[in-house]
Amino acid sequence: MRSVLLAQLRAHAARLVASTLAIVIAVGFVVATLVLNATARSTVLEAVGAQYVGAAAVVTSTDGSSLTADVDALSGLGSVAAVAPSYETSVQAGVPGRGGSQYLFVESVADDAALRWQRMTEGSLPDGPGEVAVSERARAEVGDVLSVTSYDQNGEETASEVTVTGIVDLGGDPQAGLYGRAFVTADQARQWGAIDPVELRIAAAPGVGDEQVRSDAATAVGDRQVEVLTGTERADEAAANMLGNAMALTAVLLVFGTVAVVVAGLVIANTFAVLLAQRTRELALLRCVGATSRQVRRSVLGEALATGLVSAAIGAAAGIGLAAAVSALVGGADAPIPLAGLSVPWYAPLAGVLVGTLVTFLAALAPARAATRVAPLAALRPVDQAPLRSRAGILRLVLGLVLLLPGIGLMALGVTAGDVLIALPGGVLSFLGVVLLAQRGVPPVVAAAGRLAGRLGGVPARLAAGNATRNPRRTAATATALLIGVTLTSAFVVGAASTRATAQAGLAAEFPTDVVVEGFTGDLPATLVSTLTATEGVERTASVLAGSVTGPDGEPTGAFGVDRSEAAAALRSTEDLVLPGPGQASVPEWLAQTWGVADGDRLALGGGNPDVEVPAREFTVRVIDADNPLLLDTAELRTLAPDATLGQVWVRLAGSDPEQQLDAVDRITDVVAETSSDTQVTGLVAMRAEIDEILDALLLVVTGLLGIAVVIALIGVGNTLALSVVERRQENGLLRALGLTRGQLRGLLAWEAVLVAGVAAVLGVLIGGAYGLIGAASVLGEIGTIVLDVPWLQIAVIVVVATLAGLLASVLPARRAARTSPVAAIAA
Amino acid sequence: MSVPVMTVPGEPPAAPAGVAVRAAGLRKTYGKGETAVRALAGVDVAFARGEFTAIMGPSGSGKSTLMHCLAGLDTASAGQVWLGDTELTALHDDSLTALRRQRIGFVFQAFNLLPVLPARENIVLPMQLAGQRPDPVWFDDVVARLGLRERLGHRPHELSGGQQQRVAIARALLPRPDVVFADEPTGNLDSRSGAEVLGLLRSSVRETGQTVVMVTHDPSAAAYADRVVLLADGLLAGELTDPTAESVLDALRGLGA
Repeated sequence: MRSVLLAQLRAHAARLVASTLAIVIAVGFVVATLVLNATARSTVLEAVGAQYVGAAAVVTSTDGSSLTADVDALSGLGSVAAVAPSYETSVQAGVPGRGGSQYLFVESVADDAALRWQRMTEGSLPDGPGEVAVSERARAEVGDVLSVTSYDQNGEETASEVTVTGIVDLGGDPQAGLYGRAFVTADQARQWGAIDPVELRIAAAPGVGDEQVRSDAATAVGDRQVEVLTGTERADEAAANMLGNAMALTAVLLVFGTVAVVVAGLVIANTFAVLLAQRTRELALLRCVGATSRQVRRSVLGEALATGLVSAAIGAAAGIGLAAAVSALVGGADAPIPLAGLSVPWYAPLAGVLVGTLVTFLAALAPARAATRVAPLAALRPVDQAPLRSRAGILRLVLGLVLLLPGIGLMALGVTAGDVLIALPGGVLSFLGVVLLAQRGVPPVVAAAGRLAGRLGGVPARLAAGNATRNPRRTAATATALLIGVTLTSAFVVGAASTRATAQAGLAAEFPTDVVVEGFTGDLPATLVSTLTATEGVERTASVLAGSVTGPDGEPTGAFGVDRSEAAAALRSTEDLVLPGPGQASVPEWLAQTWGVADGDRLALGGGNPDVEVPAREFTVRVIDADNPLLLDTAELRTLAPDATLGQVWVRLAGSDPEQQLDAVDRITDVVAETSSDTQVTGLVAMRAEIDEILDALLLVVTGLLGIAVVIALIGVGNTLALSVVERRQENGLLRALGLTRGQLRGLLAWEAVLVAGVAAVLGVLIGGAYGLIGAASVLGEIGTIVLDVPWLQIAVIVVVATLAGLLASVLPARRAARTSPVAAIAA
Repeated sequence: MSVPVMTVPGEPPAAPAGVAVRAAGLRKTYGKGETAVRALAGVDVAFARGEFTAIMGPSGSGKSTLMHCLAGLDTASAGQVWLGDTELTALHDDSLTALRRQRIGFVFQAFNLLPVLPARENIVLPMQLAGQRPDPVWFDDVVARLGLRERLGHRPHELSGGQQQRVAIARALLPRPDVVFADEPTGNLDSRSGAEVLGLLRSSVRETGQTVVMVTHDPSAAAYADRVVLLADGLLAGELTDPTAESVLDALRGLGA
């Protein structure tokens, strides 16, 4: 049978292209994720853990107590060659030719060469006091004399000068760009105020293993608040601390990798089902000439295994290539993700190949079983045209409902309770149910859409509608692959839109002002208000008076005076920041607690200036959830504090375009700087824009990742069509003989693709939209008021793109079909 | 398109009034060089309007190729084919396609019908492709004569082989084509269904004046025709009028088949 298997593979290689492509993309994605993760780890390990990698063991005090006393004891051990205590401090340093001084983080350099981990770009490490090596970030050159200001533990300032002896290369350290680092001898570090070391690095004596050193050191330091690790362990720990967030990213990427693998699995299963259906006669012929059904099954599964192995191997290589490209791209750019070079962990290609092969094998199992049920006689019968109903279909229906209904229940519960932890398993369950039910539900929808298309597109569209539903299982599987991708994409798009809308509503309540202009010392020139009002991009302003009043506890407190109608017009929301009218006081929570007052209480306030006699006034208390001083009516604040001045100006910006609003903030900043140097402009609008930006970036990444699943699914659409074209060679020939033009035949295939892709896209968007809204409602339910938002434009784009891509997928198969000679119908 | 009226040496007289299809100097070669196969080696033949002609010959004689070229399904390597006044060999693919759906009917040996369409849709398909509506009276007439009235809603896999061929004949007759080409129409049928199909083809010629050209290798099928054209090694090898199964068999024996 092996010769048959190999011959089959050679003969059908072209038809296997689609499944190969699907596996390559899915495996490539998974492998790239793993490799990038490992690269990030090793990049960080080399940089953050560099000082530990060369050490045999590291002793770290866990309670911050000094380890100075241990240095001699450890040095005396037979297994230890040297001990380097780490002295750390920080200084302000001036570099010649550059204004001002910069912060430098100072570390001591080991005396022993084995424990000196620094890579030098230029020059050498310092040998004694008065010398320093700096990182590139310090922007100093060898030979420069730095003027250093250091502080001892009591904060006493000391000035000193040091000469730069070398530049240290910190390449790959994500923090290398944050501030400059200085490397000096231990003595110099102590002079600059370094406290006793809390970490000792130990070098091993010749021929002694790291673990031996670690255990000797552990015994020597005794039972204290001290951690003793080998250098490698300590380096790993440091890298893990740094990469905590990057790991979460890997987890997210792997989830999308899983989605890609599942979609690829569907496409592969479909390919094999169709490949084998086409070969029914061939397989039956094998049975006729004496192959047992086991041999047939083995041949089919062998084919799957070989395909899976080869494509997964290609995919693994492609994944590593992709990771290398990403690493080079990110390493070159100034991105916050630490990537340098490429490290391929042994498990990444192995996992990729295993996953790819296994998925292909599993995907081929069901078609292989069906193929082995072929009766030898089938070889002699013409192809069966009648569709089959199977028990598996009913099982699927039941299982789908069993998953879907409780899933929906859980989601409903999650939304009511506002708890995403309840809604999430519901979402997963119901989505699995949806995938199973799609096998049932998609064909009728395609048929209905086909009837509609038949009215529009004439005979080719009517034929396409018939073709699209004649093999419901295949159509369903093709559509399901696309459905999964589209559903997840739209779920994220809708979820993100709702999250943004909710966040914006929340932000408006929390930060009701677009821009706040305030004086550092408390008073702004009164002319500022009219200047601001005249500034381009400003819609309204409100003056806020600042003065001092005396509370019921006898202590003076700052108060703002506002004119209710003027202020309300300048604010985005008065939900949290409730404005007081005459006789009312809006008391922020913290102040209400100090004074012991609650909503509706009467509150007596006196004048804030002890030198000026002012009669006390009574107010009705309204406790507000806002982060500002006591708010009173302007006129009443003036009575209590006649010396009150203009404290803040609240500005409301025109329009809603974040770019224009940020421009307006810049103009306000300029205008204010001209009028008074002592002011601060806070553009909360910038904060809103920033949140938008983060959400946009996140959405872009997620959409891109899911796009991979959609691409794989579209390969499936093209694949199914290509196989249909092969399968319907005779039929297409007949149609050509009966008078279907080449163009009409291409149209027929295009309609079929559009029907399947369009239905999958529309259903996916509907289901995905629902998931997005449910997800947003259950996640944001914990936070507060939810604003649901459906981004119709993006949704429409998803539908159009998926449908057009389906159309694109039909181009090649259609060209092939159009080449069919009418004679093919007769020359069967 | 004008038809040459003068007589060219080596060609049969041009377009006599009663000729539906004719070919002149028709050659067809498959492949190139040493592996080239000459299916038609220069055939001059004409088929009269309102006549039922059978093309016969041993396997490999070129009878199917001749039919494909006559019907505009395949292109000739050399020579000309006319359908009435239209020279098929001068048309490009789209015009040829349009001509096929309006002026030529087909009945094939197997795989005649589109599996996704019910019988009625299959019958009207060529007219729909041409954007025409079938004449309902004529449609009812054809369907009644072929005994398909009860079967119009059935899909092909719900029909017997004989019924499928009758649907194919109805489809071929509906547009009242210049000519109906039938390629081994009884090849897949039992003898009773086969006789029924041949009877129907002959009665369409007798009753409505339909021109029918049929390719077959079965002498008893050929006996239903008015005339038999014999083909051997890509060349005409004689003809019989008012054939019987025996006379056809004798003629074939004479060809060494």
